[in-house]
Amino acid sequence: MNDVIAAARARGRSQLTEVEAGQLLSAAGVPVAETRLATTADEAVAAAEALGFPLVMKVVSPDIAHKSDIGGVVVGVKDADEVRATFDQINAAVSSAAPNATVDGIAVQAMAPPGTEVIVGATTDPQFGPVMMFGLGGVFVEVMKDVAFRIVPLEERDAKQLVREIKGFPLLEGARGTEPADLDALESLILKVSEVVDANPEIAELDLNPIFASPNGAMAADAHIVLAEA
Amino acid sequence: MPIDQARLHRALNPSSVAVVGDKGPQYQWLSNQKDFTGELYSVQLDEKEIPGIEEKGITNYKSLKDIPGEIDLVICAVPRQVTPFVVGDAIEKGVGGISMFTSGFAETREPEGIELQAKLVQMCTDAGMPLVGPNCMGVYNRKLGVKFGQGLEHGDGGDISVISQSGTHGIGMTNGAQSVGIKVTRTISFGNGVILNESDYLEYLMNDPETPAIAMYLEGTRDGRRFFNTLREAAKRKPVIVWKGGRSTAGSRAVNSHTGSLASSQSVWDAMLKQTGAIAVGSIEEAIDAMAALVHTNKPTGRDIALIAMTGGQSVAITDQFERFGFNVPELSQSSYDRFAEFFMTVGGSYRNPFDAASTIRSEAENLQKILEILADEPIITGGVALEFRSRGYDKPEDLDEILDLLDDYRTKVNQPVVLVMPTHGVMTGDVEEAASVRDRCAERGFPVYPTFERGAQGLSRVVSYHAG
Repeated sequence: MNDVIAAARARGRSQLTEVEAGQLLSAAGVPVAETRLATTADEAVAAAEALGFPLVMKVVSPDIAHKSDIGGVVVGVKDADEVRATFDQINAAVSSAAPNATVDGIAVQAMAPPGTEVIVGATTDPQFGPVMMFGLGGVFVEVMKDVAFRIVPLEERDAKQLVREIKGFPLLEGARGTEPADLDALESLILKVSEVVDANPEIAELDLNPIFASPNGAMAADAHIVLAEA
Repeated sequence: MPIDQARLHRALNPSSVAVVGDKGPQYQWLSNQKDFTGELYSVQLDEKEIPGIEEKGITNYKSLKDIPGEIDLVICAVPRQVTPFVVGDAIEKGVGGISMFTSGFAETREPEGIELQAKLVQMCTDAGMPLVGPNCMGVYNRKLGVKFGQGLEHGDGGDISVISQSGTHGIGMTNGAQSVGIKVTRTISFGNGVILNESDYLEYLMNDPETPAIAMYLEGTRDGRRFFNTLREAAKRKPVIVWKGGRSTAGSRAVNSHTGSLASSQSVWDAMLKQTGAIAVGSIEEAIDAMAALVHTNKPTGRDIALIAMTGGQSVAITDQFERFGFNVPELSQSSYDRFAEFFMTVGGSYRNPFDAASTIRSEAENLQKILEILADEPIITGGVALEFRSRGYDKPEDLDEILDLLDDYRTKVNQPVVLVMPTHGVMTGDVEEAASVRDRCAERGFPVYPTFERGAQGLSRVVSYHAG
């Protein structure tokens, strides 16, 4: 697991790329949408055919924080032709918006099953050490700051209470006609992230945003990991 | 050398106490120990002070080392520059521990104080000496009569122990608890907490068989991880009330993530307290309100409550507050209503729950007894009764006791709480003196008494949440 961290460190980076973060978390049993890195259009098509359609394609670069703002993310890619076109389109967008950015390639990612968007994160508190956060995604976290925290490591009871503590919890229970989310799966994801953070003191910060919480499970569609200062 | 909990136990439960550096005309530290059950000595070099000490019948020595026999606790009140000599003598003498009232150390943020404190820390660490403080009120022990102020009770038993970073709040929580009929087993005011900190005292009290519950005042923690783990363990064993004062801004955190930008020190503290299962409160009033509900009720878990007010307006007000804090005020069964209908004054009154009961209860205890009997048979009520309680109109003390006997019978029978609220502006509120004497009697009889519906509802709610998990 630490190989990913060691490799990033060796390259002098303090953040993991989305692909690296996904590898680290998947290896620990955290459900993250399967992602492959492609450096050529042919590789992208091969990855796409292995993963199945529809797909998400995103630029992978340690220098670009807000990928969608510069046209670095395309969702709903439907077939091999679109994969090729999208590959070129993203590269063109990135070279015009961020010509000096190091680009590792393009991530080809299976679409997570649709569901309610939630965020699971971790940070390091100066007094209490690693701390986890849970909240609903989008406007709920951005504007309402409807989030709750727990100290790592979390016990089962902590994960249960964490999920139920936010004001928006009824949305996960199926308010407004949506199907209720699989709360057990969500809690299990939270506990697995707690284990990863607890076992890897090198992880200073972590965002899984968004995670799609659906009746059939919970799956992260984006992973962001910041390493502690070496 | 880490501090041995057995040695701390010796210091907190002394058979002999030496007060070093007390001064007239009050001789406050020696006077505070007038109920102390063990041997009390004074150490004072100043010839001017010695006659006053001896007049009190206390033997004075020039040095700790001159005292024959062992010393379990040294109370140190000398000027700060003298403290290293006192600590040195205490170490040589092999005393149990030191409680240091002296201030002027690192809290001044001046080099001289910081240096002096570092010296004491070095000496006590090397010797494994339990040092309470410095810059604190130290130790209160109810059973042994070791005190840090006047007006503290001396006697057997104990319902709760107090730990406080602040001397003022340690005194306030102890006196406040006493004023609502709670026996404080012991209080530890630990000030700068340089040798022993909040986690050490918490660990001691969670293992202390004489401490059934704990209340703490804190402004921060020296070791967040250890405090979190200790508090979680302590709260599993016994109720722990934590009043965290001050907005936390400790340290700065790196923020390269969404999560990092949202995690303020305050939100992490709040989450930490929740996670440990402690009862978090935000003021001294809330701390004492929670203590009263904790000590004067029998592990309540139900939230379906009966509310008895004096008037229609108050029956609305009491319901608003109890519902606000998560209680339900359910309708009762038809069979109960049939029984109420036989005697209840429905002109200007109501028994639907909430009750509007002044005209029915008035001065005859008999009708209250009937109401309580019906409520005891009512299965829908799981959270006991909260009453607006009159604080006037008792012709003789026995009248009040007769009512309290009825309430006591009810709560024993159903094993549910009875909460009394005496509003300052109620129609049945006595004058200040009368109200105070009624309130004190109720507290003495082991009832939680509150000045407002809001505080009663919040105090009880916190304890129900604790027990219901």
